Formats: sequence, structure tokens, C-alpha cells
Amino acid sequence: MKSLHIQLLAILMTTISAIPVMAQTKIDEMSLDRWAKLREVERYQLNIAEKYFKEKKYDVALSEYEKYLSLYERSDAASFAQLKWSLCLNQLRKQNTAIKEGFQSVIDYWPDSVDAAKASYLIGKTYVDIGRVSYGKKAYQETIENYPDNPVAVYSLSGLAEIARQEKNETNLVKIWKRLAFDIQRTKLTSGTCAAAANSLAGYYFGKGVFPDALKSLQANYKDDQLRYYVYYYVRTPLNSLIGDDETKMTGFRLADQVVSYLKTHLETDLSTDDLKSKAQQQWNQMIEVEKYSRRDEKVLAAYKAMLGVFGNIDQILGSLADYHLSQKRYDQARSIYRQFKDRIQGLSKVAASYSSEGNVGEAVKIYKQLAGLDAENSAKWQGAEATAYVAVKQYPQAIQIYRSLVASDALNSQQWLWAMATTQRDANQLKEAIGTFRQCENFPENYRQMAGCHRALKEYKEALILYGQIIGGSESMAPWAQLQIGYTYEQMDSAEQAIKAFQQCCKKYPKASYASTAHAHLQNKYKISVTLGGGTDE
Amino acid sequence: MKAILKMRSWQLVGVVAFVWHFALVDWLWLHLLADSLLPVIFLLIALLSLSGLCKNYKQRAENQIQFWAVFSLCIPVGWHAGVFFSEWLGLEMFRAYFARGGLAMFFMTGLVWVIWGVEKYAQRIEIARREKFNLENVLQRKRTNRKNTDLKIWNPLDPHAWYYGEKSPRLNQSLNGFVSYTVLFCLICMILSQFQGCTQFYDLPAGGGENQAVQQVVKVQKIIRKKFILNPYSAINYNTPELDDVKLELNEVTAHRYTKMGFGEGEGAGFAGGTSNGVVGFVRLEYPGGDWNQDFGIGGDMNMLLKYAELTGQKIDKKTKAYSAAQLKTFDGVRCPPLVYVTGQRNISLGNNDVKILQEYLNDKHGMIFGDNGGSRHFHHQFLSMMQRILPEVRPVRIPTDDPIHTRPYQIVRVPYVAPHGGEEALGWFKDGRWVAYYHPGDIGDAWADGHAGVSQEIWANCYRLGVNIMSYAHIEHAKWRLAQKQSGGDE
Repeated sequence: MKSLHIQLLAILMTTISAIPVMAQTKIDEMSLDRWAKLREVERYQLNIAEKYFKEKKYDVALSEYEKYLSLYERSDAASFAQLKWSLCLNQLRKQNTAIKEGFQSVIDYWPDSVDAAKASYLIGKTYVDIGRVSYGKKAYQETIENYPDNPVAVYSLSGLAEIARQEKNETNLVKIWKRLAFDIQRTKLTSGTCAAAANSLAGYYFGKGVFPDALKSLQANYKDDQLRYYVYYYVRTPLNSLIGDDETKMTGFRLADQVVSYLKTHLETDLSTDDLKSKAQQQWNQMIEVEKYSRRDEKVLAAYKAMLGVFGNIDQILGSLADYHLSQKRYDQARSIYRQFKDRIQGLSKVAASYSSEGNVGEAVKIYKQLAGLDAENSAKWQGAEATAYVAVKQYPQAIQIYRSLVASDALNSQQWLWAMATTQRDANQLKEAIGTFRQCENFPENYRQMAGCHRALKEYKEALILYGQIIGGSESMAPWAQLQIGYTYEQMDSAEQAIKAFQQCCKKYPKASYASTAHAHLQNKYKISVTLGGGTDE
Repeated sequence: MKAILKMRSWQLVGVVAFVWHFALVDWLWLHLLADSLLPVIFLLIALLSLSGLCKNYKQRAENQIQFWAVFSLCIPVGWHAGVFFSEWLGLEMFRAYFARGGLAMFFMTGLVWVIWGVEKYAQRIEIARREKFNLENVLQRKRTNRKNTDLKIWNPLDPHAWYYGEKSPRLNQSLNGFVSYTVLFCLICMILSQFQGCTQFYDLPAGGGENQAVQQVVKVQKIIRKKFILNPYSAINYNTPELDDVKLELNEVTAHRYTKMGFGEGEGAGFAGGTSNGVVGFVRLEYPGGDWNQDFGIGGDMNMLLKYAELTGQKIDKKTKAYSAAQLKTFDGVRCPPLVYVTGQRNISLGNNDVKILQEYLNDKHGMIFGDNGGSRHFHHQFLSMMQRILPEVRPVRIPTDDPIHTRPYQIVRVPYVAPHGGEEALGWFKDGRWVAYYHPGDIGDAWADGHAGVSQEIWANCYRLGVNIMSYAHIEHAKWRLAQKQSGGDE
């Protein structure tokens, strides 16, 4: 039970992981007022440094900020330059230096500046980033103590919440979330962090099956329709977990009932305009979705029945109900509903798709043929669907025949049909024909890759090697893969020496690619060769 | 010698068995005998066993059972001698093969004897039963239509035991023998594996030193270009000296500084609190499931150990070693290996007990794990999941380039690798003010091995330096902790 909660918290935290990044984008900027106070020369130099920082050329930006500091030490933006200098070091993975010589200097030399608070928070964040969690915790606490009214205090609280989550300290985590959600006055800079905490808290309470507290948390962020939507949005994952576990199943059912009843009481009843009708439909759908998550079939069906009673037999609702039947593998029921569609073509296409998914190609093909007649404008589309149905049950000759006729008749989409025909020929083991068709395709290098594969299956290794060579020449991203395949091809040709050379070339030419790793391991395991060339350093 | 010759064969076997057992126990746990004596003993016993086997082979027609009994006795002798000599000669791969192959042979031999014994005994019972057979009695019993009131036979060696059933009782008996033997063998192995023997010690070399960065040598080449600073076609003739002829008098400003590497104060490079017998070793974890022994021994990780000695001046062990988690547990609470290297490219199958031992090693014994991805993305996930089990509360992070582990004694600006099996980033697990684990994603062990995997000199040299940094970091941290333990009245 406890581990379930922790898992839920982990999922929720991923949703708010973007918050510190948001915070940082504000942290690494200087206010316009301060920019305005700068002299022209100062602004010019700082702009140069900022330009490189934005271009992520951190080493150049670092020296430009350093230049600013040595030239305009007494400037109003000196503390900012020092802060940005430290951020450059952070990006260059010299976080220890950034903390000790960068952020700390901002606090020591410009203790009253706005940047001192930012530096204090960044010290904590950087410590956490490099694994020194206890130091980070301390720095966050100091930031909250020293700058209680600054937005960085809120960010630090959020940082402490993240630490509590890592340490699986549920009590602290909930305490911090509560403080962020309810006690802090929200400003433009902090509302995101506070809202995320409130959402996480709601998720936590949903996970425990405590609906009123979850609702209260969400009420801190949303109102009216938005609130209803987010109740539906945040209850789904916790509900799924609760229902999935036998121990918590009953709690899950109770929660689902509470949520459904809440959503039901707030359903839009005025259906006088199309907009209101559409809004009401959405609310009904959300309510039914919650029932689906609770996995109670009879309740889902009852809800659909009630919805159809309110809105009448609309294709959209019928489609959703039929899709639900399909998901429960009640094919006949689903098809009988699809056949009730006012849009007959749409309904029939769904029927055909259901036959196809059931493996009944004969019926699916019959309907696709019917569709091609009914909807002459899109006959190519229906013929294509018919061929796909044949491919699904490995009746390749029929599929190929259809694709061939489509290539001739539907010139606009000929490339799409050519590719479909080529892959079908390949799957049907008509490799020579497949090569010919792939050759007509224009999606280099994928078609060359497939052609080479066919040649290898036909034991025409030299042709495959030529194609791989062309991929290396024409596609930078696929080159490492092609080089590795050259090795495997030589291996199939029983040319061990050439294969070894090819694998070594893969390591040497593309040392940073994951294929180099495969080649290296293959050389060691198969040929017991440790001299694989390659080698590199991290960026 | 005469006395030996005069001995009866069973007496001789008894003496040899005793000496062999003593040598075995001493080799594994006691370490009382001199290092040079053990090979002699094992060699003598192996030769004696071989001669006994040859002798019995010639006489096998007379007494086949005796020959096979001697053969069976020779198997454990050969097994242990094989393991001992391959370890003694530093052939670690052979050691592993001997260890596993010997165990399998031992199991099979025992199984053959069990099946043979059961069969023999069963035959004897059958013969006795046939001799007692009385047709009149059986007929009489049938006539009276009396139910069989005989008592149930419980003896498992008797094929007529009731639980073997009436259909194929002999087959069931053999199966029973096989299953019982296998279960018993596994049980004994499990029980024996719990005996960890005596406590082992890992002493640091005595000495002292500083944990300082080694000065990087930068060669500055001065290029003097020809420059016309005056117009040579000028009507006015200046008597100016040729600039290129000016002799530059440069003073040597770089002072060579000898930095003793280690920790604390003491003579020679080493560690305060170390012992004169102490040496720096390279220990790897022998784990079940994968190829833990990649680049193990001479020509592999031994190169790293030798390089460590060359670059730090500290005393090192004669060879690199491998210990299973259970063996790691036998080390003293304080005097244990500061660093354990884990490599491979397949699975890491650690049991809960192994995980507990490693937790204890990192948390209580102040150890450190050095993971090295030997060749697959799979191993990357295996290592991370192993660390997640060992230290669930610690999140791995990318180690900064200005961290002491990357700057002392050598400055490692970028992490070098042979192949990016687990990406390019070196990860670390930081706990209680130190790195408790370092993960290298790209087969650093291959760069240390002979041939250096064919990578450029710059990369393999940096791989050695990184290895020195990590080993040095682990040993210095351990030395500090040992001193603290000593001061607080610890075990030492």
C-alpha cells in the first residue's frame, strides 16, 4: 500500500518536473529596469555575453562574462554577470567551481542584490544535481530562511519536496505540498510551482482514496468547468492503480463513485445551443471514462444508456459505445451498433475494421468492396484498406494485386502504394520483385536499407554491400548502421577478415554511435578480438 | 622414504588424505603454511594420486571396483590442484573453468556411485527374496482368497517398497535415488557456502602523501616569424640588427616538484595507518549470471595495477583478485578492500543475501564500487538496477568534471571510453560525503588491457589516469575512515 503511494507520487512528480526549469528561465534573466540603468558600453558587453549564452556556447559566454566583470566591476549588473558566469560553469559541468567561486561570490560580494537570493537557491539546486543532497537540503533551508519573501523561497520549498520524494519521506512531502498549495501567496513567478504542488497533492489524496481533500487541493488552482475537468484528469491514474490492486479495489470503487457523483451533479443541463450540447457531451464522456477506469462493465453500459437517452442516437456516442464493446471483445454487439450510424460509410468502415481485427477477412473484404462502390470518391482508400486486411492474414497475392492496380490508378499517392506493395512483396518472399519495387520508391535511405536486406536474403551479398556503401555516402545518420551491416554481410559471406575490418571501421569512424558499441562487443564475443579501434570522450 | 614404502596402501591413503585436507584448509582459510610450501604439497599429492591411479589401472582387470574407487578419489584431488595451480600461475580463466568443471565432475561421480550402489543393494534384496520364495504358500493364500496382509515395505533400497508403486518400480527407485542425491548435494553445497572461514584482511601500504593534483605539462613552442619592421628599399640606410639573430635568454621557471601520493604522514608513498605488509590491490566482484571475468588478470586489470604503482609509487599486490559477495563478507569490518570493480556485459544475478552484503560493504565498511560496462546497453540497465537495489535512497548523477575524483591526482577534463555501451556519461552515487559508486559507461577495462583495444594513446593513457584517480580516491577515503575508526576506538 505504501509502495503504491510512493509510485503514484513518483508519477505525479514527473508531471511537475518542468517547474524548476520554468523557474530557471526567470532566474537567468535580468529585469528591464536594471538593463536601463546600464551604460551603453556595459550593455554592449553584456549583450555579447548573453548572445553566446543563448546560443549555448557556454565556454565563450563564460569568458565574455568574465571580461564584463573585470571591466565593469562596479556596474549594477556585475552581480548578474557573476551569476551568469556561474551558470556557464554549471553547463560546462564544473558545478563545484560554480558553487564555490560563482554563486557564493554573488552572495559574498553583492549580498543586497537581487541576484544573491537567486544564487542562494542555485547553490541548493546545483548541490542536488551533483548528488550532494544533504548539502542541497541545507542550502534550500537557508534560502527559505534568508529570503522568505522572494520567489526563490518557493522554488527552494519545491526543491525540498523533490528531496522528500527521493527519500520517500511521505509526511514531509505532504507537509511541503500543503504549504505550497494553500499558504503561499501566488505571484506571476510562483503560481506555477504552487499550482503544481496543489496538483501533486490532489493526486496523492486520490491515491489514498480521499476525495474531499483531493478536491480541496484542486480548488486551490481551478474553478467551475476547469475544476471538473481536472478532477477527471487527475483521478484517472490513481484510480487505475487502486482498482488494479486487490487490497485497494474497494477504496477505488468508493472513489470512483464519489467522483462520478460529483461530476454528475455538475452536468450541464441546458442543451439549447450546439456549444452547450457539446460541452455537456464532453462532461458525460468524462464521467463515463471514470467508470471505465473503475472497470465496472454494467455501470459503463448504464451510463452510455443514460447518455443516449439525453442526447439521442448520435454517431459519436454510438461509436464510443461500440468501441467500448470492441475493447471488451463483444464484436457482434459492436457491429450492430456501428450499423446504426447515420453516416453509413463511417459505420461500415468501422464494421469492416472490426471484422479485420477479428481475423475475418472475407467479411471485411466484402464490406470494403461495398464501401468502394458507395464512396467512389475515396475508392482508392477503401481498396488500400482491403489490401491491408489481406496482408494482416498473410494473403499476399491478393494484396499485391490490389496495390498494383492502385499504383496505376491513384497517381497522386503512387509512392504510398509502391511502398506498401514493396513491403508486401518482401513479406511474401518475392524478394526480386520487392527489390524492383523498392527501387521505384523515393524514401532514401529506407528503401535502400530494405533492398539491401532483400539482397542478403537472396545471398546476393555484393549487391547488398554496394547499397550499404551508398547509404554511407548519402545518409549521415544511417551511416553507422550501414557500416555495421557491412560487417554482418561479410560474416554471411564467410569472409571473417573483411567482417572484422568492417566492424573495426564502425568503431573507428563512428566512435560515439551506439552501433560502435555493438560492433565492439561483437568483435570481442565472436572473434575474441580486443583491438576494436574506436574510443572517444564525453562531450 | 623407506618408511613410506613400508606403509600399507590404506595407511598411505590415510596420510595423503590428511595432508591434502590440511593443505586445502590452510590454502582457503588458515594461511599458516609458507606460500612456497603449498604448491609443493599440492604437486606431491597430485603426483601420488596419479601414480596410484596408474597402478590401479594396470590391475583393473583384477579389481575393477577398486580402480573406479581410486579414480573417484582422484577427481577432487585433481579438481583442487587444478584450481590451486591456475590461481598460483595467475591463469584466472582456467581457475574458473577448473572450479566449475571440477564441481560438475564431482557431482557426476557421486551420482554414478549412488545409482550403482542402489542397484547392487536392490539386486541383493531381490536374490534373497527369490531364495525365500515358496510356491505352496502363495497358492494357499490365493485359495483362501485372503487379502494380502503383509506389512508395507519402507526400505527405499528395496524396489518392492510400497511407494515405488507396481508399475516400473525399478525406474521409480532410480529416479528417487537421483532426486534424493541431487537435493542432498545441493543442500550440502549451500551449507558449505555459508562457512566463510576465517576473517580476511586488506591492509593499506604504510607511508604517507598528499592528495594533490599532478602538474600538467604544457609544451609551449615559440615560433619566431620573419617580420620586416623597416622598409628594406628605403633610401635611408638604418643599421638594424637582424631580429632572427637575437638570442633569447629564457630562464627555466618551472620547478620540478615531487608529490608523494597517498594520505597522511609517513615514509614513502602510502597511507597513514598502513602496515609494512600492506599493499594496494585490485579486487573485482565475482557475481553469478554474467561474464564478471572480462580482462581479468595478467594482460588485463593487472596492467592497471602496475600502472597505479608506476604513477603513485605505492606498493601493490602481486596479482589482481576476484571475490564473490560471500567472500567479500569474510573481510574484517575495517581492514577490507576499499574498492571493488564490477564489469561484464550480461546479467548481474545477485540474491537478496548478496545485496545485503554489498549494502553492508558500502555503508558499514566504507567500501566503494567501480562499475565498468564491458559491452552492452543491457549491462548498463543491469548495473543501474543492481545499484537501485543496493542503495535505493541514492539517485545516480553525472559526476562533475571538477570533482576531486576527476581532478586528483590527474585532471580528467573529459571522460575517456572505448565504446559508448552505456552512453558517454560517468555516473556516481554520492552518500555520506563521498562517492560510494562510480560507473564508467564505456569499457575502461578494455583500454587497460594489452593492445588497449586499438584506441589512441591519448585515450588509453587517460583511461589509466582515470583508473588511478578512482583507486586513489577510494583508498584515501578508506584510509581517512580507518584513522577515524582507530581514533574512536574501532575494531582496529
